[in-house]
Amino acid sequence: MGGFATVLLVIGINIVLAVSLTVVNGFTGQFSMGHGGFMAVGGYVAAMIVYYGSLRLWGSANFAGGFLSSASGDGAWLAGGDVLFVVACLAAGLAAAGAGYLVGLPSLRLKGDYLAIVTLGFGEIVRVVLQGTAPQIARSKADVVRETPVWKLATHLGGAQGFNLLPTYATLFWIYFAAVLTLIVVYRLKMSSSGRAFLSIREDEIASQAMGVNVTKYKVRAFVLSSFFAGVAGGLYAMYLGAINATDLGFQRSFEVIIMVVLGGMGSISGATLAAILLSILPEVLRAPPPVWPAGLALLVVMVIIQKVGISFGLTRGPADGIVLNIAISMRSLRRSWKFKPLVIVAGVTMALETARLVCLQQQIDIAQYRMVLYALMLIIMMIVRPEGLFGVREFWDYLPRRRAHSPSGPVAEASA
Amino acid sequence: MTAPAPNSSAAPLLDVSGIAISFGGLKAVQNFSLQLPRGSLQGLIGPNGAGKTTVFNLLTGVYQPQAGSITLDGQALRGLKPHQIAAAGLSRTFQNIRLFGDLSVLDNVRVACHLRGSHSLAGTLLRTPRYVGQERAMTERARELLALFSLADRQDEHACNLPYGDQRRLEIVRAIATEPKILLLDEPAAGMNPQEKKALADLIRTIRDRFGLTILLIEHDMGLVMEICERITVLDYGIIIKNGTPREVQTCPDVIAAYLGGASEMKGTETRR
Amino acid sequence: MTQLLQTLVDGLTVGSLYALIALGYTMVYGILRFINFAHSDIFALGTHMTITIAAVLGVKAADAAVPAWYIGPAVLVLSMLSCGALGFVIERLAYRPLRNAPRLNVLITAIGVSLFLQNVGQLPMFFGPYPRAIPKLTPDVVLGTLADVNFRLVDAAVIGTAVMLMLALQYLVHSTRLGLAMRAVSFSHRNAALMGINVDRVISITFVIGSMLAAAAGFLYAVRYEGQAKQTADAMWVMLGLKAFVAAVVGGIGNLRGAMLGGLIIGLIEFFGVGYLSSNYRDAYVFAILIVVLLFKPEGILGRATMEKV
Repeated sequence: MGGFATVLLVIGINIVLAVSLTVVNGFTGQFSMGHGGFMAVGGYVAAMIVYYGSLRLWGSANFAGGFLSSASGDGAWLAGGDVLFVVACLAAGLAAAGAGYLVGLPSLRLKGDYLAIVTLGFGEIVRVVLQGTAPQIARSKADVVRETPVWKLATHLGGAQGFNLLPTYATLFWIYFAAVLTLIVVYRLKMSSSGRAFLSIREDEIASQAMGVNVTKYKVRAFVLSSFFAGVAGGLYAMYLGAINATDLGFQRSFEVIIMVVLGGMGSISGATLAAILLSILPEVLRAPPPVWPAGLALLVVMVIIQKVGISFGLTRGPADGIVLNIAISMRSLRRSWKFKPLVIVAGVTMALETARLVCLQQQIDIAQYRMVLYALMLIIMMIVRPEGLFGVREFWDYLPRRRAHSPSGPVAEASA
Repeated sequence: MTAPAPNSSAAPLLDVSGIAISFGGLKAVQNFSLQLPRGSLQGLIGPNGAGKTTVFNLLTGVYQPQAGSITLDGQALRGLKPHQIAAAGLSRTFQNIRLFGDLSVLDNVRVACHLRGSHSLAGTLLRTPRYVGQERAMTERARELLALFSLADRQDEHACNLPYGDQRRLEIVRAIATEPKILLLDEPAAGMNPQEKKALADLIRTIRDRFGLTILLIEHDMGLVMEICERITVLDYGIIIKNGTPREVQTCPDVIAAYLGGASEMKGTETRR
Repeated sequence: MTQLLQTLVDGLTVGSLYALIALGYTMVYGILRFINFAHSDIFALGTHMTITIAAVLGVKAADAAVPAWYIGPAVLVLSMLSCGALGFVIERLAYRPLRNAPRLNVLITAIGVSLFLQNVGQLPMFFGPYPRAIPKLTPDVVLGTLADVNFRLVDAAVIGTAVMLMLALQYLVHSTRLGLAMRAVSFSHRNAALMGINVDRVISITFVIGSMLAAAAGFLYAVRYEGQAKQTADAMWVMLGLKAFVAAVVGGIGNLRGAMLGGLIIGLIEFFGVGYLSSNYRDAYVFAILIVVLLFKPEGILGRATMEKV
């Protein structure tokens, strides 16, 4: 598989992670820092089911999938291995959801920072416990696996070495299937009455209760749902890498997902998706930065078309001096009008990035080295300059211009007077 | 909307008897009792720090009373969670406005409509006809309510962007959207000018008549309270010092004593009278 | 008996490190109400500054000889000063613009600052991406032996320095004008400002003091774990920092004595867990204790419950 395809896979998994974390951190405003932990729970459960399941069923842990999960693209559409894989991913989601329920319970009593620390602690406990498990039973010992009871197999998860040599089922198809499913579920949730209940908890918990929202129930619901998808993502992650190690799923991993949610905007699904895509591509891009200006220019043109600006740029009146006058006027309105601010920002950012790229090329600086520094800076600057993230609570299409519906004003306040 | 049930109209709709709470050594509210007949409009007044909002918090379950009982239409409320009390039919506004600022005006009301529906996860995710129908009805109702209160043309705005008076009104709409039996209004006229107060007085009466609600009102503006309330309870240092008609309250020496020193509002009323 | 005593000594030594770091967390939390995630990185920086400053003063990890007695204190003071300055800069650039922002934003900024420090530290122009060995700063002297347990000078130095710093802080906060101002600001920024207190300055000073204590903890860590090699972006730093934060929460966040008590409790629990149960789950004990404490007494052992005003 080429580098590009790998990036696509990573993007898909990160979309599942970021969008699912949006439910807890973005919608209900609870600050969970244990997403890596839920991912680990799911990943190990899926790994265990696929690996030991294959050994039990077929006596070998080799790949036994069909066309949809095969990298080479041959075989039947679906095979036994695929079924096992899908079952494993669902089980991964359920196991993580169970863990989410357990973590959601303390969230009933804890707020803000305390909850953050408890979820972080949970993630670390998961990591530590997984790292303390017994070694994996080797692939050649199918008969040993058959004789060992299931509960005992669950303690042989590879310990500090991680769970390795898994058959890789998670292809583009499955990962994007999961990503689209996650997007649909979370979107439908956000647009529903349950979604509004989630959001009201974030806005004002006391008012939310007073309006009859069962805050406890909804918080737990959010945790369960969010961790379900984190678990699925964990399963996909394990089956794409062919290995899983709890060390990689510590709080750094949780932080990465949090950064995506925050950059996208707390509660914006499209924002989280966009941030997941950008942050997954970023390391690749930094390795050999391509020119930025074509993308910037294209974006500018699109924005100009969308906002229907530029037509009134003073070309209406005839003589040359008239045009000059007119441009001066529109420059003033440009400064006054909010409409132009995004355009100026995009142009400025494009120029800054392009300059930085050229400087780096000239000085032969390897920017990939500064990747995490850039992440961190981006996060800090974002919080100071635009604390609500790219899109805030809203979705990107809410920013497109549209006709405003005017409804007649109501009778009570006026008519009663 | 909520047609009052015709059962035993003689019994009070809300029966509060002897509730109390203290924070550390401070006895915030002691032995507070109140009977609200169906359809009544009652005022709750008292100097700053008298414990009025604490009474609201006790009634709505934000604080748990340490003694006494609360009964709404035959249902005991003490010990219930705030959302259960809201479901039982007690709804409120807040002294310091607590709207869902980043939600649209429409969504603020729809959150409150949420109470009278069922919300299974499966229905939401699969968009079953039942769910879709309920969702549509909810939006419809929220729109109607907003139209009634002249907020319809602002329904897509963020609640935090509304002007102050509209925010106060939206809080009332939101409280009504839970289809309560009793509406608790916590200083609805705070920060309003005389014209707005006048409009508010009319609005409160209209709400009571149109929705068949029973209203308990905390207010500092004596003119407003005396004008619209049928009965008034006066609280001082957490204790009821007087319960009676506006005229009785105004002439009660205890009440005047409680307000003396800190209460120019009371004097204002007297000159107006 | 031997094991019990040894565990006790280890637990107290590491516990006093936790207590020092926890003080920084608790001071910042008390005054700004947010978890300064970057605090653990200041601690890591303290250790790395110790290595660097010691190297500048001519002490290398490879040296077998024990340096002169004054080297240790000099390194301590210098590393405290440099970290204090860094704390000042961080507060000024990253946190002050967010003074009135929602707490979540500040928390996320703190995570950003933490990532920034870790990864800038990794750059070749600073400490580099490779682990660096910690030099020897104190002689191997055994002060006394009880039931086969050696009480080493190192342990005494760590505990002694920590206790001294904590006493100094206690004095500062409870017996000086500055301390009074700090307590006033932690009670209410607005009221403190109305009383003529320069709130921004007090907050800056709080950060500087907290960072200096973390640097001291970093130095003591280096003293205690001489010969080990560490990177700046090692998860272990964050882990240690988190445990210290747990100590602050367990003791009652915002409460200085609580932080000290919590530090000792966490240190002891960790080492008793490792010594008597299993060393695999070292970090799990600490978080398990945290969860238990938060569930039964969310305000911490010495903390006071607060209620939201409606």
